[in-house]
Amino acid sequence: MSKFSKGGKKPAPGINTSSLPDIVFMLLFFFMVATTSKESDPTVKVTQPMGTRAQDLTAYKQRSEIDFLYLGTPRNTARAEQFKMGYALFLDNVAQPDPGELYNTNAIKRWKLDKFESKPTQMTATIEQVITCIKADEGAPSGIIFDIRKELQDIDALKIAYAVKDNTNAN
Amino acid sequence: MAKRDIPEINAGSMADIAFLLLIFFLVTTTMDRDKAYIRDIPKNVEVVIPPAPVPERDILAIKANSANQLMVRDELMENPDDISERILEFYRINSELSGDAMMAAMGDPNHPGNNFPFFSRISKAGIESRIQAAIKAAEEVEEQEGAEETLISFMWNEVSQWEKKKFALNLYGKKMLPEISSQAHIRIEVQDRTDYELFAKIQSEIEEAIFEMRDDSAKEIFGLGYASIIAKLADDASNLEYKAKFDLLKLLYPDRIIEVTPKN
Repeated sequence: MSKFSKGGKKPAPGINTSSLPDIVFMLLFFFMVATTSKESDPTVKVTQPMGTRAQDLTAYKQRSEIDFLYLGTPRNTARAEQFKMGYALFLDNVAQPDPGELYNTNAIKRWKLDKFESKPTQMTATIEQVITCIKADEGAPSGIIFDIRKELQDIDALKIAYAVKDNTNAN
Repeated sequence: MAKRDIPEINAGSMADIAFLLLIFFLVTTTMDRDKAYIRDIPKNVEVVIPPAPVPERDILAIKANSANQLMVRDELMENPDDISERILEFYRINSELSGDAMMAAMGDPNHPGNNFPFFSRISKAGIESRIQAAIKAAEEVEEQEGAEETLISFMWNEVSQWEKKKFALNLYGKKMLPEISSQAHIRIEVQDRTDYELFAKIQSEIEEAIFEMRDDSAKEIFGLGYASIIAKLADDASNLEYKAKFDLLKLLYPDRIIEVTPKN
């Protein structure tokens, strides 16, 4: 008896939480470094197809040498009939009043040129080198992809990228 | 005056603030990186000079119609996963042929490699004499009265192309530099209604085949995976050693892709 109950109840000692902020900060910094924020939230539905051995675009994004455009059916289904074959374009960071506006392919030239005009001063790339990345829905008709190519060719924006979801096994 | 203790700042809420920030970044983080196939669009030319016809054997046509049916070299293909094998065949079937064996294959319509691109081989001495000839030709153009600026730069570009080949052959370490026919290319022909999914799949298969060939060569020549060469260059594009390796692999297995605009 005497071995276990020594002198009644003692209060449990408080756990020292002073290193908790350090741990949380460490996690915080990890996520801050690993984060690449989304350019914009598209108002078209895009399910990207799968593909292997695609090139990572992170380096181009960091140098802001890439523009994204989304090709899919409008989330607001009532608007679908306004667009060719029901597929609309959503352009990232448009300099127009309504950021959620959807476009046909004929808006691409102005968008590209506007974006190129307002490029960051440290960017040295010419318009030919700025990549235009198409994030298209898997059901999108390829004809529209080629319409986009034609528009880009006309303004000498000669780099195009077809986005996919990469399923390459890491090695 | 008596010394007063400086009151300690209560840091108990620090964790709360940090948590708040942490949760913000947790929510906004998208871990999947953007991946894509980067392609070049040909420059718009005003005067279209009809190009010289390309021999049938140098074309690998991949066609997809509006019903998403697939055709490779005019043969129907059920499973799009098989495209990469046909690309490997296209690049590899004649890669070992040279000299008389190549001539025989070229002349014999029953030879399995007859309808596929052939390879040229050039030695160091051969490249050297080509460089001299190219320099001479470029200088001649330069001396002409009223020679066009574009033509002069084109001629000097020719010289630098041969210089690059010389450099590549040195790195390759063999006697001869094999090169696939300069007109050999992959041609993607889709129609207006072909799904982007299939179009992307074709691109994916091409990339897979090119990767496999370059990877095999990279392991053989440098004992190094192609993936690690690309990764190195992505980190540091000015790394000359890896740039040279990449250029050699690209010379051995060029990715010439033509995307044909669908006719309406």
